[in-house]
Formats: sequence, structure tokens, C-alpha cells
Amino acid sequence: MQRKVKSIVGLTVVNVFFILLCFVTLVPILYALSVSLNANNSLLSVDFSFIPKAFTLANYKAVFVDEPIMLWLKNSFVLAVSTLLISLGTGIPAAYVFSRKTFPGRKPILRTLILLYAFPSLLSMTALYKLLSPMGLINTKLGLIIVYTGTEAVFALWNMKGYFDTIPYEIEEAAMIDGASPTQIVWRIVMPLAKPTIAVTAMMVLIYVWNEYIFAVNFMTGSDTYTLAAGLYSLQATEMSGNWPIFAAASIVVSIPILIVFFALQRNMTTGLTSGGVKG
Amino acid sequence: MKESKRQQILRCYAWAAPSLLLILMIVIFPILYTGYISLTNMNVYHWTNYTFIGLKNYADALLVFDNGFLKALGMTVVWTIVSMVLQLVVAFVLASLLNIKGLKLKNLYKTLLIFPWAMPGYVSILLWKTGMFNSQFGLLNQWMAKIGHGPVRWLNGDMSAFWCCTLVNLWLALPFMITIIDGALQSIDRSFYESAVLDGANWLERTFYITVPMIKPIIGPSVVITVFTTFKQFDVVYLLTQQVGAKTGADIHTIMTYAYENAFITNNYGYSSAVSIIIFVMLILFSVVINMKPKEVRD
Repeated sequence: MQRKVKSIVGLTVVNVFFILLCFVTLVPILYALSVSLNANNSLLSVDFSFIPKAFTLANYKAVFVDEPIMLWLKNSFVLAVSTLLISLGTGIPAAYVFSRKTFPGRKPILRTLILLYAFPSLLSMTALYKLLSPMGLINTKLGLIIVYTGTEAVFALWNMKGYFDTIPYEIEEAAMIDGASPTQIVWRIVMPLAKPTIAVTAMMVLIYVWNEYIFAVNFMTGSDTYTLAAGLYSLQATEMSGNWPIFAAASIVVSIPILIVFFALQRNMTTGLTSGGVKG
Repeated sequence: MKESKRQQILRCYAWAAPSLLLILMIVIFPILYTGYISLTNMNVYHWTNYTFIGLKNYADALLVFDNGFLKALGMTVVWTIVSMVLQLVVAFVLASLLNIKGLKLKNLYKTLLIFPWAMPGYVSILLWKTGMFNSQFGLLNQWMAKIGHGPVRWLNGDMSAFWCCTLVNLWLALPFMITIIDGALQSIDRSFYESAVLDGANWLERTFYITVPMIKPIIGPSVVITVFTTFKQFDVVYLLTQQVGAKTGADIHTIMTYAYENAFITNNYGYSSAVSIIIFVMLILFSVVINMKPKEVRD
């Protein structure tokens, strides 16, 4: 009996602890949400509360009307889809070949790829700028697509190769004996089995382009060519200037699609990534 | 169906060619070109009429302490160690607490605690910067005012900026670590604990002789990857303290923000490229040391 009481007390303490911890963890997000919805933001007042006394959607309206967010969204969308098509279109056949076939040069190439995977593309920014600028590709979508595709091509190849490795080869052998051609095997047999990894890889590419800001702010010079991330970066309130409630509203708007994707794919995310990722 | 060996090899390369050519042109060539720039004095005054200066940039980075690279490297090492220790300890404690028997709301807590992972990273960092740390309307200073304390400039001093960056990084990284450790804890067979309890082992002994050794191999790869991402961390330090035109005054640099600063703020391209190549070589050496190779290449 005494043990039971002890364990109930213990559980209560742990529960209280986690409720507090969850709240503390979410404070930055809740604060932004609350500021973005608050009608009378007396920013310097001390009697701030998380639940606004007067609600307003004015900040959200301002985000969509006063700021070129729809244009940024369109730019991000064009970049994301192009990057996705190129990196998956080239990545799937390559990942398949590296997973299934043995050929001279395979291992050295895989070794090189793993090193490239560790290389942050930020470090070759100067070189990329210097190479793209004589071609007139700075401040163009094509320039950014090239940069993003490079980074994501390595990731896509690696991630999908890792997943292909887990699909039993016997299925393909059976199809081969039945007389299916290599192209048929990939389209009819491997692709349907590889759906989870293709979905996760595609999502990761989209999220990367959605979130990439540093190349976008350096390679794009005008606010009409900005991506969503670059646009949000330019909106941020500094110590003295900027509009914090509008920035908070824009942050929430930009985050919602990513949150939805993340929680929808959370289960796949772990398997689709861990099975493909780098293993020590 | 029979085709010669040669044809097979050719077909493999034909399938892989688009991806490999892309990587060759957009990833490998710029890295080689970075190596080339690192041997020149290219900067904002010598954008096209640069000259070769040999290894001078490398000597400047590695031998002259005042140039700041070695300081940034030291800071990066400290940053990585502090972040990793905090992450592992806190995540282990939290994951263990989550696995206490009878915790009914476990899944709710996990979902809420995972939020920082789900948010776009740069958005969270900017929200921390403006929402929490801002000296005018940041929440922290509103709380400080409530307890009768004047506004604190959280991101201005080196030391406080470092801890603010560490805190934000911890906030960003914990969900992943908790998820990994939680998964590892659940994979341990309960019977180990039952027999240990029968043998009279206390909680501390059970943790150090059963839990830690059992989860080590499971979480190992994820920890290694996290060490890499922490070492390469750019966003947290850059967005919180080093933004162009909005520097907070704290002089803290990781090697990544240092390379960026020299490239795009002081426009010393040759020097920055040398720093980039040094970082790349360090990353390669790390990979070799910890043998981070694809499973099959290793054997």
C-alpha cells in the first residue's frame, strides 16, 4: 500500500514536471502566436499574457497584403519543384544502379560521395558565385536551382540508395527470370516498393528549398526575386526597427506547411531517413 | 537477356551518368575551384585581376593567431563538446523519465516536445532572437522587468551570447536526441532489469551497467551525425549574433560563420576559400578517424 502511494506521488511529480517542460519548450512559439494575434500590442508593457485580451487577424492580413509574400511563395514553389524534379529524376536511376549492380569504379565513387555528403555547400559559396556570375545566373531562379540541385543530388542519391539496399534482390531476380527488361523491373517492381523513400526524399528536398535562406539572400538581389525564406529573413525585426507582430505572423504562416508535412510524415521520416542515412 | 559484361557496365554508367555529371559540375568542380581561389589574393579589390600567392592564405589562417581562425576553431571545439554533453545528458534524463511505468500521457508529451524539431530551423532561431532575447520587447526582458531588473542585452557579451546560442541549439537538437534515446530505451529487454533488481542493484547501478552499455551501439550513429552537424553549425550563431547589418557585438565565431564572414562581409575571398578548404580537410579526417563509411564499403 505504501509503495502504491509512493508511486502515485512520483508519477504526479513527473507529470507536473513534463507539463511545465512542454510549456517552457513551446514558449517561443506560443509567444509569437500570441503576439501575432494580439490586437493591442503594448510591446513594452509588463503585463503581457499569453492569451491576448483582444484578438485580431490584422497582422496576418498585413502579411498577405502589404508584403509580397505570395510572390515569394511562387518563387519558392518554382525553385522547389524544379530542384525536386531534377534531383529525383537523376537520383533514382543512379541510386538504383549503385544499390544493385557491381561495376568497376563503384566503390571509389561511393567513397567520394560520402565525403561530399559531409561538405557544407556554404563553403563553396564564393566559388559558386564566381562561376555563376559571368554566365549571368546571379539574381536568376536558374542560378539558385543549380545551387540547390547540387546539394540535394548528393543527398537524394545517398538516401535512396540506402533504401534500395533494403529491398530484397530476389524479387527482381524472379522478374528477370520471367523475362522482364531492366527498365520494366525498375518501373514495375522497384519503384512501387521504393515509394516510402521517394516520398521522404522528395519531402526533404522540398523542405530544404523552403528553408534555405543564406544562398537566397546572397544570390538574389531584389525583394521581388526572394524566396519565402529570404523574404522572411528580410522581414525580421531588428533591435530597433522592424515590425515584430507582422514578423511573428509571417513566421507562423511560413511554418504551418512544414509542421503539417512533418507530423504527417513523422513515422516515415524515421524509417525513410535512418535506413538510408549514413551508418557508422 | 544475355549481354556482354562490357555492355552491362556501360549501361550502369549510362543510368548513373546524369546524377554523377550533375554532382561533378555543381559540387565537385566548385570545391576544386575553391581550392584554386585559396591560392590567390582574390578579394573585393582584386575580383578579376588576382594573382597567385601560393600558400600564404593557409599560413595566415593557421599560423597567425590574430587573424581569428584558430580562435574560431577553439570556440567551435568548445561549442561542440558543451552542446553534445548537454544534449546527451538532458535527452537521456528526459527519455528515461518518459519511460517511467504508468506515464499515461507519454505520447502527448513526446508530440509537444518534438515541436522544435518540426519548425523550420531558421524561423525558430529568428523567433528566439526577436521574441526572447530582444532587449526592447523580448520576453526574457519583460520577465526581468517583472522582478524589477533592468533590460539585459543577452546577445551582446561574448559569454552570454555563447550560452544563448547553446541554449537555442539545445532547444533545436533535443527532440531528435530524445526520440533516438527513447527508441533505444524501449529496445532493451525488461528481463535484464528484473534480474538486476533481484540481485539488489540500485537505480544508479542499473543505469550504468545495463542501460548505458545497451543503448550505446544503438544511438552511436545518430550521435556521430549530431557531432558533425554541431561542428558544422552555422545558423544558430550567425542568425543570433552575426547577421550582416545587425551584429549584436558579441565576438563569437564558429569556423563556419568565420568562413562566411570573410567571404561575404569582409570580401576576402582568397583567405575565406583557404579556410573553407581547411574545414573540408578536417571533416574528411574526422570521417576517416571514426570510420564513417557506408556499411558495405567498410568490409
